[in-house]
Amino acid sequence: MNLTSLVRTSHITRTFTHSIKPISSSSSVSLSHTPTSLNPKPKTPLYLKPPIYTTSLSSLKKFQKWAKTLSSSVNASFKDSSNLHQELNWLLQDSLQNPNILQTHEENDNLVALRLKLDDLYDLWTQRIEKRRPFQYIVGCEHWRDLILSVEEGVLIPRPETELIVDLVNDVIKGGGENGDLGNGLWVDLGTGSGAIAIGIGRVLGDLGRVVGVDLSDVAVRVASYNVERYNLQDKISIKQGSWFEPLSEFKGQVAGLVSNPPYIPSGHIDGLQPEVGRHEPILALDGGDDGMSDLLHICNGAASMLKSGGFLAFETNGEDHCRFLFDHMETIHKESFCNLKIVPDFAGIQRFVTGFRS
Amino acid sequence: MAGVHLLIKSFPTFLLRPNTPSPTPLLLLRHIQTPFKPLKKTTPFPPNQTSSLLSRHYSTTSSAVTNDDDDVSGGREFVALSDEKLLSQCDVDTYKSSGPGGQHRNKRETAVRLKHIPTGIIAQASEDRSQHKNRASALVRLRSLLALKVRNTVDPETYTPPLELLQILPAKSTIRGSECGSQIGPNNPKFALGMQALLDLIFAVEGSVADAAKKLGLSTGALSRLILSDDSLRQAVNEFRTSKGMKPLK
Repeated sequence: MNLTSLVRTSHITRTFTHSIKPISSSSSVSLSHTPTSLNPKPKTPLYLKPPIYTTSLSSLKKFQKWAKTLSSSVNASFKDSSNLHQELNWLLQDSLQNPNILQTHEENDNLVALRLKLDDLYDLWTQRIEKRRPFQYIVGCEHWRDLILSVEEGVLIPRPETELIVDLVNDVIKGGGENGDLGNGLWVDLGTGSGAIAIGIGRVLGDLGRVVGVDLSDVAVRVASYNVERYNLQDKISIKQGSWFEPLSEFKGQVAGLVSNPPYIPSGHIDGLQPEVGRHEPILALDGGDDGMSDLLHICNGAASMLKSGGFLAFETNGEDHCRFLFDHMETIHKESFCNLKIVPDFAGIQRFVTGFRS
Repeated sequence: MAGVHLLIKSFPTFLLRPNTPSPTPLLLLRHIQTPFKPLKKTTPFPPNQTSSLLSRHYSTTSSAVTNDDDDVSGGREFVALSDEKLLSQCDVDTYKSSGPGGQHRNKRETAVRLKHIPTGIIAQASEDRSQHKNRASALVRLRSLLALKVRNTVDPETYTPPLELLQILPAKSTIRGSECGSQIGPNNPKFALGMQALLDLIFAVEGSVADAAKKLGLSTGALSRLILSDDSLRQAVNEFRTSKGMKPLK
């Protein structure tokens, strides 16, 4: 059965792609893929697991050599799209209780403490190389801004580009002034995924500020809630399940800020995506319809009625074309609703975000 | 090598603006021969590749640079800029050549390289797994490099040390008032500004620690200890002294 085509053609399957991908036949892999219905608890990132396994230093070095050899066997385009050398170091960093142990040139039978079985380490690296399973799913976390967020199959891995949304929000809050006390208002993150933006914003808001993160996917809701608790922000941030504005009807006209990194990749581009993305990340979080604008436009149109006067909005888009289209759309169709619209580039210089205020 | 003393007499406004097409920055770059290699794709660079820069110096006069919308007016001001302003003067290399980015891409490409366009100085960081943190580290490094590399002209005859220099001096300095607070050490981000002012003075007195110490109300030994307390400061002073045929401080 061709899973990829199944995923692409069946809308019902889409939501559950994360649960049906048989990556490894080994049942001992601690970060294996199991149907979410049977595994309602979010997975613990590798680096937070207890170091209850041991192996000898020489066995560990043997693994390291094997893994390096395996990485050097991959084709050029894979090499080009990944930092396998660095990823291996990071995997070992997360696996070992004392990562410095690998600095020594000795090879002996001294025992080292591991957070997973040595066999699982072999399995995980095989998955990385042979299945192109994203490194972040392998170790169960992503370092994003100053956060370490738990991620797993079914949740989009937060991108470095998106880090900037938190800075944009922070600038608006610290700017204060004419738009009132936005930092102590209610903020909304639509399609929160791992909860990255919601948590980032939650940490820059004032004492009275609150964030609601919304996601349609039940895995995302669980993972985001877990991340919120890990940063002890459950009093400030709530995660709700639903489609875009659906769970937010009670907040109409009261929202101080609305941000989103919705799916924006045009459907036709999904097949050509880097394997780590196209084969493993949730299509639900990537596919933005024919031109990639379906969800952006939906959110943009709803934002006018959600935001209070002076409220801020920031959307991430696919790039220059999206930014221009959205900008023009808001300037013409929603002329009465929005003001101070801006297109903001990401750190790579690509026009990435549209920001503005509710009039 | 002898310290290349590039005195930028008039610093056109557009040099301070990133992304402004102009042949002049290239001319500037050729003069200061800043290494500008493309970011390697698969090999992470060492966390702190800055030593190759330490053999060159730039100089500005503090009144020479003007800019119509901010207060940039020389080397000292570069170091004093907010992170945001300083970043806006930089080319940021992260994953520039890699297509559409965003949701399209999964690459743990977190290394950040900043090229400060007005001076060509490059600072980079790759030791962290978060791009955000690497950017912050690269900015701290850039600030420190600007302090080390960009010289402001000061006149030793009429010299009075600025507050940021007084703040890094030990309490026993006779010209240091109580308004300076406790001594700022190398780990404090404000140290860069004081370090820059100290280097400006040492350059103005042709590398003589004894002469500089007098201007600062310190014994020669006390100023030497201050200089030796920070590796990059010591290196900068010693390179300058060597270029003047003087013995390095030990």
